[in-house]
Amino acid sequence: MSTQTAHDTQSFYVEIWAWLVGLLILGTVVVFLPIPKITALVAVFAIAVVKAILVVRNYMHLRAEHLVIYLIVALPVLLVIGMTLTLLLDIAFRR
Amino acid sequence: MAESEMAFGAGVTAPEADGLERIPAAKLALWVFLAGEIMIFGGLIACFILYRIAQGGWASDAAHVDWQIGTLNTLVLLTSSLTMILALGAARAGNHQGVKRYLALTVGLGLMFLVVKAYEYAGHFATGFTPLSGMFWSFYYTMTGLHALHVTGGIVVNSVLLAMAIRGTLWEHAERRLEVAGLYWHFVDVVWIFLFPLLYLSLKLT
Repeated sequence: MSTQTAHDTQSFYVEIWAWLVGLLILGTVVVFLPIPKITALVAVFAIAVVKAILVVRNYMHLRAEHLVIYLIVALPVLLVIGMTLTLLLDIAFRR
Repeated sequence: MAESEMAFGAGVTAPEADGLERIPAAKLALWVFLAGEIMIFGGLIACFILYRIAQGGWASDAAHVDWQIGTLNTLVLLTSSLTMILALGAARAGNHQGVKRYLALTVGLGLMFLVVKAYEYAGHFATGFTPLSGMFWSFYYTMTGLHALHVTGGIVVNSVLLAMAIRGTLWEHAERRLEVAGLYWHFVDVVWIFLFPLLYLSLKLT
């Protein structure tokens, strides 16, 4: 790797870190803003999802991975979401 | 510079669509392992959310969790992810001193996370909040404890890599080793990215 490329790569990773820290601050500040609680709750978790995507795509290099890797990751994520939604129905009907 | 070059370094590009055999076995195995981890932590997080929706409450318990300490620990882990990826970048650039420096920083930040967590636990225990103090605390200790165990595992792996780097035995497969260790470390960071708002912030909004 050339010195210039190494420097560019390093700057890119530091830039991603700066975004992550900015989002961390934003996600914490949102809790204390005078906005509806449900809006703040959605914002807090939306920010967490964005942070996770930034790490997975850029630090774990998922954006340049083989389709099989995507499928390996997607399967358990979909299972967890499916399990949660299914059990949510149970809670709704129990009430 | 192309996006894939930015991520992998000059001359190293993403695998082709049909190049499954080009994925190193260790990397593939690690991703399968992480898929299992997603089920473990995802299941716990799902249970937490479902219990919270079904039962309500927990806000009075969550008020005893210090969001400032949680924020500090999140910053520590995010920064450790940066130093881990910089260690990989240094290995690709052939910068041995850089690898040692960034690995040492990653291990140090991981230890700092555990020290802060231990301080937090000590405070909770001192005020009488143990894993048996209620459903919230059971979830809190289970999720953060399991996560801390994973952080400990990552610190051990990174320490071994650092020791190998110092002894000069790391370099033959340095990139691959750092990449696989980094994948695990970043995953631990991603888990905390979700645990932090779940345990420290969300219940302040209920």
